[in-house]
Amino acid sequence: MSDNPILVIGGGPAGLAAAKGIADLGRKAVLVEKEEYLGGTPIKEKYAALTPDFRDAEEAMGEMIKAVTDDGNVEVITNSTVTSVEGSAGNMKVSVQNGGSGKTIDVSSVIVSTGFDHFDPGEETQVYGYYEYDDVITLTDAEKMLKEHKFVKPSSGEAPESVCFIQCVGSRDRQIGNQWCSKVCCGIASKDAMEIKQILPDAKVFVFYIDLRAYGCWEDDLYWKAQEEYKVNYIKGIVTEITKQGDKLIVKGEDTTMGRPMEIPMDVVVLSTGMEPSEGTKEMAGVFNLPLESHGYIGTIGGPLNTVETSVPGVFVAGASTGPADLEDSVSMGGNAAMKACAFAMKN
Amino acid sequence: MSEHKYQDSVQLEQVIVDGMDISGHWNKMFVPRALTQFDISGLEQLRDIPGAESINNCYQCAKCVGSCPVEYVGSYGPRKIYRKLQIGTNLIEDDYLWLCTTCKNCVRVCPKEVNMGEIIPAAREKAVLGGFIPDEIQEMLQSVSEYGNPMGESARKRAKWTKPIKDSIKNLAKAEEGESVDVLWFVGDFYAYHGRGNDAALAMVNVFNRLGVDFGILGEAEKTDGDSQRLVGESGLFEDLANHNDALFEKFPHKDLVVNDPHAYNAIKKFYPGITGNTRNVTHYTQFLSSRLDELKALMTKSFDKKVTFHDPCYLGRHNDEYNAPRELINSIPGATFIEMPRHKEQSYCCGGGGGGMWLDGLVANYTSERLSTNRVREAVETGAEVLLVCCPYEVSRFEDAVKAVNAEGKLEVMDIVEVINACIPEG
Ligand SMILES: Cc1cc2nc3c(=O)[nH]c(=O)nc-3n(C[C@H](O)[C@H](O)[C@H](O)COP(=O)(O)OP(=O)(O)OC[C@H]3O[C@@H](n4cnc5c(N)ncnc54)[C@H](O)[C@@H]3O)c2cc1C
Ligand code: SF4
Ligand code: SF4
Ligand code: SF4
Repeated sequence: MSDNPILVIGGGPAGLAAAKGIADLGRKAVLVEKEEYLGGTPIKEKYAALTPDFRDAEEAMGEMIKAVTDDGNVEVITNSTVTSVEGSAGNMKVSVQNGGSGKTIDVSSVIVSTGFDHFDPGEETQVYGYYEYDDVITLTDAEKMLKEHKFVKPSSGEAPESVCFIQCVGSRDRQIGNQWCSKVCCGIASKDAMEIKQILPDAKVFVFYIDLRAYGCWEDDLYWKAQEEYKVNYIKGIVTEITKQGDKLIVKGEDTTMGRPMEIPMDVVVLSTGMEPSEGTKEMAGVFNLPLESHGYIGTIGGPLNTVETSVPGVFVAGASTGPADLEDSVSMGGNAAMKACAFAMKN
Repeated sequence: MSEHKYQDSVQLEQVIVDGMDISGHWNKMFVPRALTQFDISGLEQLRDIPGAESINNCYQCAKCVGSCPVEYVGSYGPRKIYRKLQIGTNLIEDDYLWLCTTCKNCVRVCPKEVNMGEIIPAAREKAVLGGFIPDEIQEMLQSVSEYGNPMGESARKRAKWTKPIKDSIKNLAKAEEGESVDVLWFVGDFYAYHGRGNDAALAMVNVFNRLGVDFGILGEAEKTDGDSQRLVGESGLFEDLANHNDALFEKFPHKDLVVNDPHAYNAIKKFYPGITGNTRNVTHYTQFLSSRLDELKALMTKSFDKKVTFHDPCYLGRHNDEYNAPRELINSIPGATFIEMPRHKEQSYCCGGGGGGMWLDGLVANYTSERLSTNRVREAVETGAEVLLVCCPYEVSRFEDAVKAVNAEGKLEVMDIVEVINACIPEG
């Protein structure tokens, strides 16, 4: 049995859940985070409320962070990353690099939870004009405004009369090379649409979609709620491209249930950008020699029955570094990885 | 019985019941509204054709339809074709097969890489083999195989346009093998036979000469490039044409092979090598001239004080990624003000002439409210431009007809870029 601490890389929802789990199981954890703060993407990208329960993201994540930083069993090292590893199962020496200075830590097992990046809509094969038109924004841009309890046309600062969401931007696309569904964006767009209606009850809000994937209980918690209580309009058919006419954006595409082309003026267009494996995830896959699965995320063994174990003994993964994941998935995997990493340390 | 059980807005083309012909509005009641089966045999047949496999992968997102130029004047696009295939249409035998201009706008946006640029010629090849060819196309193919050009003009008259300038042009048609030139100029059908094409051809000759280019044409020996024939499914004819023309390219050594027709450019660059095994140094004339821009600018001393706009040909732009060369030329026209149309470069609209569309106006008219070229010219007029510039020989005649259709005569002129360049070069 190794008494060395367990290393957790990445302090987002998955990493926080893992670190807390390890500490609760009575072992020591070292949590290495690249940024100077914990909380991962929800904090970095300034999410407003969280789905599906609409809790304030900063408050909810704040509780999770505090539980970790208050726990004496967890050593948090921010502004740092892992650059190399030596040794193997049960006794690994990892180099933790903080700017210019570094140190080596002996660890018994490792959990990689380095998460995802948002798709950059500048890479789109469709001409959505994200870098061209101020009023074309992404989900995260919307979240940042909603966190301040406002929603305006970025170009003028005025309240928009019409807003639409375009789903699946950068997801489900062979040309771009992202063949996955990002899983959360249908729910997040529905949530953002409701928040917009809370602030601007008179605004007309539309969601253009291919397939509306509010899976599980998000169906009525988010999708139906948006339609029924908040009068958000869902239209089946995706937007092909955006042009500008005067100070309006024109979204062009097809309304598929009507079988007719559409050219609709909008004040603000929100691109529901999906997930990609983060740079950090790719780097850690390199450092620990972890094979990637076919989409470029970190691969696990055991298929659906073992979601956190990699083919490298003693190295586990959790959260969006393994594929598109929502918070529920991420923290569940974090807990699962904590348990498996502790068990591994006890056996080796 | 619910009144909605039967579709009453659709008539079958021909209905014969117990030997009695009740075609026409009588048969309205005979189409049940309910879909009682999904006859996917047409889909199965199509996806089994080599090259057409990707039709199977459509997931109905609809991005293509919003980009399809035919959809703007009718109802079309790969998504709709796919749905028709699921409810019993056999595309091979259907007029729908012939509405696509192979403009490739849908290919640009499709997340599933459903490739109409490959599906359509493959499907048409099957249609041609089965005898399902529109009359207009049949005639055009006949002309090409008999005369080497789609207009049905005499092959001997291919160099007739050079008469007024005989002395300033080298016609290689009767030259000895091995006669070499710096530039072998593949003139193309429209420049050779069409009145407005002749104007551009003469302008091209003058520009070559003023630049001091040593060039020659293939004259009566040249035949149509074949790209449109390939795209309507006549791959055998295309092969013959490729072999014929390439033998001429081989016969007369040259540094550059210059073409004015983007369809010829596409064929020679991308499809001839697979047939002949030879790669040619082919350039579109806008590319050739923009490579000589400094010399050209020095010559262009006369001002052309007009507002101009430009139509990107599908086969130069989307098919071959060339958007800059024509714009470099346009931006160096002295005095001209260049205004882009809203749909330009990658998003450019289609004139309707590609993929055999040039010879399908009759059939297409049954399914569309106006010609694509008309829709495009409306857009050009809206920019406030006085001149619509083109660099594909199909387009001058298409757009001039369209200008008449939208009553913009006197307001909008259609000119080949080379005509304007030539107009800016004073005689000397
Ligand atoms: C616009 C948007 C809104 C969303 N809103 C919701 C929501 O309301 N509800 C919901 O359930 N889900 C939501 N999600 C999904 C949610 O953000 C993810 O499920 C969750 O963030 C994944 O957690 P994670 O810990 O795996 O990754 P992340 O949150 O991405 O955290 C990864 C952490 O690792 C760190 N890191 C990266 N590389 C390194 C490295 N090399 N060394 C050290 N540290 C590193 C990062 O800095 C980061 O702190 C949303 C997603 C999007 C796109
Ligand atoms: S969750 Fe919705 S928007 Fe996101 S990729 Fe999947 S289907 Fe598209
Ligand atoms: S863009 Fe492609 S996948 Fe989408 S509907 Fe058109 S053909 Fe189908
Ligand atoms: S190639 Fe052009 S005309 Fe043909 S279906 Fe695609 S967008 Fe429409």
